[in-house]
Amino acid sequence: MLRKPPHPGTLVAFAILALVAGGFIALAAVGGERPTLFAIGPYLWRVLAFSIVQAALSTLLSLVLGAALALALARRRFPGRGMVLALLGTTMVIPTIVVVFAVFAVYGRSGWATGVLSLLGWRDGFSIFGYPGILIAHVFLNGPFVARILLDSLSLVPAEHWRLASAFGFSPAHVFRHLDGPVLRAEMPGLAGLVFLLCFKSFAIVLALGGGPSRSTLEVAIYEALKIDLDFGRAAWLSLIQLVICLTLTGVLHWAFTRPPTAPTIRGLIQRPDARNRNLKLLDAIVLVAAALFIAPLALSLLSGLNNILDVIDTDLLRAFVTSMTIAVIAATIACLLALALASAARRQRVALRSPRAAAFYDFLPNTLLAVPPFALTAGLYLIVRSFVDPSSAGFILLPLINGLAAVPFAYRSLAPRLLTAEERYGRVAAALGITGVNKLTIMDWPLLKRPFGAAFALAMALSFGDFGIIALFGGQELVTLPYLLFERLGSYRLDEASAIGLFIVLVAFLLAHVSGRLSHAGD
Amino acid sequence: MLVIENCRLTWPDFAADYSMTVQKGALCAIVGPSGGGKTTLLHMIAGFETPESGKLAFDGVDLVPLEPAKRPVAIVFQDHNLFPHLTAGQNVALGIRPSLRISEGERRRIDEMLEAVGLMGFGTRNPGEMSGGQRQRVALARALVSGRPMILLDEPFSSLDPGLRRDMVRLVGELRRQRPVTILMTIHTPEDVADLADQMVFVADGKVLASDTPSAILGGSLAPRIAAATSNT
Repeated sequence: MLRKPPHPGTLVAFAILALVAGGFIALAAVGGERPTLFAIGPYLWRVLAFSIVQAALSTLLSLVLGAALALALARRRFPGRGMVLALLGTTMVIPTIVVVFAVFAVYGRSGWATGVLSLLGWRDGFSIFGYPGILIAHVFLNGPFVARILLDSLSLVPAEHWRLASAFGFSPAHVFRHLDGPVLRAEMPGLAGLVFLLCFKSFAIVLALGGGPSRSTLEVAIYEALKIDLDFGRAAWLSLIQLVICLTLTGVLHWAFTRPPTAPTIRGLIQRPDARNRNLKLLDAIVLVAAALFIAPLALSLLSGLNNILDVIDTDLLRAFVTSMTIAVIAATIACLLALALASAARRQRVALRSPRAAAFYDFLPNTLLAVPPFALTAGLYLIVRSFVDPSSAGFILLPLINGLAAVPFAYRSLAPRLLTAEERYGRVAAALGITGVNKLTIMDWPLLKRPFGAAFALAMALSFGDFGIIALFGGQELVTLPYLLFERLGSYRLDEASAIGLFIVLVAFLLAHVSGRLSHAGD
Repeated sequence: MLVIENCRLTWPDFAADYSMTVQKGALCAIVGPSGGGKTTLLHMIAGFETPESGKLAFDGVDLVPLEPAKRPVAIVFQDHNLFPHLTAGQNVALGIRPSLRISEGERRRIDEMLEAVGLMGFGTRNPGEMSGGQRQRVALARALVSGRPMILLDEPFSSLDPGLRRDMVRLVGELRRQRPVTILMTIHTPEDVADLADQMVFVADGKVLASDTPSAILGGSLAPRIAAATSNT
């Protein structure tokens, strides 16, 4: 009897695991004199301490800003509130290298804020390098995101509870204790873990704003080991530690805080009994003004590129745009196909084979890709492919591949639930008619899947298009993406050109994210 | 006596104009099609909606300027009556004092009330561990413990199955015999309360179209409309 060929998802899962394992083994094997963990100990401790401290501070500040902003926005109604909410959701999509530009433009030597401070007589100024710049950038990216998530959760409190609060005459303290507090308590641990993970892995922001070798995250340290010192052994050790920490965090987040997604509800105006309290009015006004003063200049600095956009359009820019787009399309294709294969394997395990444990493995695998340090993986794979291809063109292969792998978790989140829906609706009919394999995919799944697939594709493109990660290793004469071009201009303090390139990147990323959002919210 | 005279409320897509009276200590059942304005009527009495004009008074006291917490009213919703992070006992205690700082005497009153609704010893349970019917009993206990002279029940038992629903209606009848409260309840199944209610009103299109004894309403000219309103849901 012929054995059935393995499911494509199984092959993909093994391929991903083999790729990651292969990369690490190659990296560890090439080390040459191979330093012991003990030899890099003091350096490692410094990097680790900085990674953790900056991530913890970034998380704390992001949560404080996010929670205060969410509560203030939940209590207040004002013209333009809807636009503010829409803007809050977009900061997460701003590519990190563009955020670096915004921090330079506002707080840099010739920045707006610095100008205002010197007008006020504070001419000494402060250096944005080190903690200030990193924290500003991280809080700008994550604070509004936290606010948006918390606001959505706060609005899920049933209207009946608000009526009860009015009927019982709750004071603002009671409202916080019985209504807002429990929501925040439920959301905060998961959000804290997520923000910490993002900041712990931060690369572009720390590379550009760290301002010295002592202020690196592990991710930057791995990059420096590879690019500057060509010390593969040290890179392998650093990567292993990074992987262990991030995998642990990802695992904890995945198992402890994954809740069934709740549909966003649209509610009419709810009378909050605490909205009339005078102290809270004052507090909310302060919070809203402070948040606006922090967020608005950074966001608006991106618009300053409008003046210069015509000046920077040249063949360099167009070539970089085409390169970025090409990489984005290939990366999105890789991400969506891998995610589809994994999701369909997970569905088969869950529904046909009744093996929820195996399905949970497929669910978790995409998340582990978030924990893999991209530089280590890239370096390992580079060591493998360099014997087959010209080293100078390796970037063209590895960049889309790594960007694609990095987008798999997001694509998976979009595709997997829809595949299950299709199975629930039509699975029995398809089974009765004997529709299986590719036919099942095209006849049964695709009609339900095409919109989320498009959404995942556009999102993966947006992520890849704005990414400034391993391009830092490969960027140069041969290979220039738009984010790399921006990094070069920032490095030579040509802020006018940088502003226009930054605006260009943000516009494309926003457009793709918008398309993705529209597709994922549209009905069947 | 509860007096409602030409209380008008308007929205872009709905307008209401209520007039009715309920005797003190009576149980008044409110029936009618969904979307007809039954819940809005209760929300207006409780203070969640404010009439633009008209008179709304209980025992000669004008309710309109009073905040919800100051009105002589306790309300039970169809769902989401209990705060999930508080125990059943604490949820009942909210009816006495939102700070939950209660005296020993009040603690005993809460236990008595839980016993009265058939939940003796349930004080330390979390709402998540209770059935839908038990949660509604807790909400009822809270409405009673507050000592307010009027209790509004908004489809309180609609999410329960028929047997349980009739038990709950019977419970309301018993509790009413023990203490003098005025009860207004919206209900989907008028026959459940036909024996118990003193008064029945039919609300549709934002108006009180009829007010009489249950037998008169259910046997009168509105009977086909009531049957239509209660069967198609």
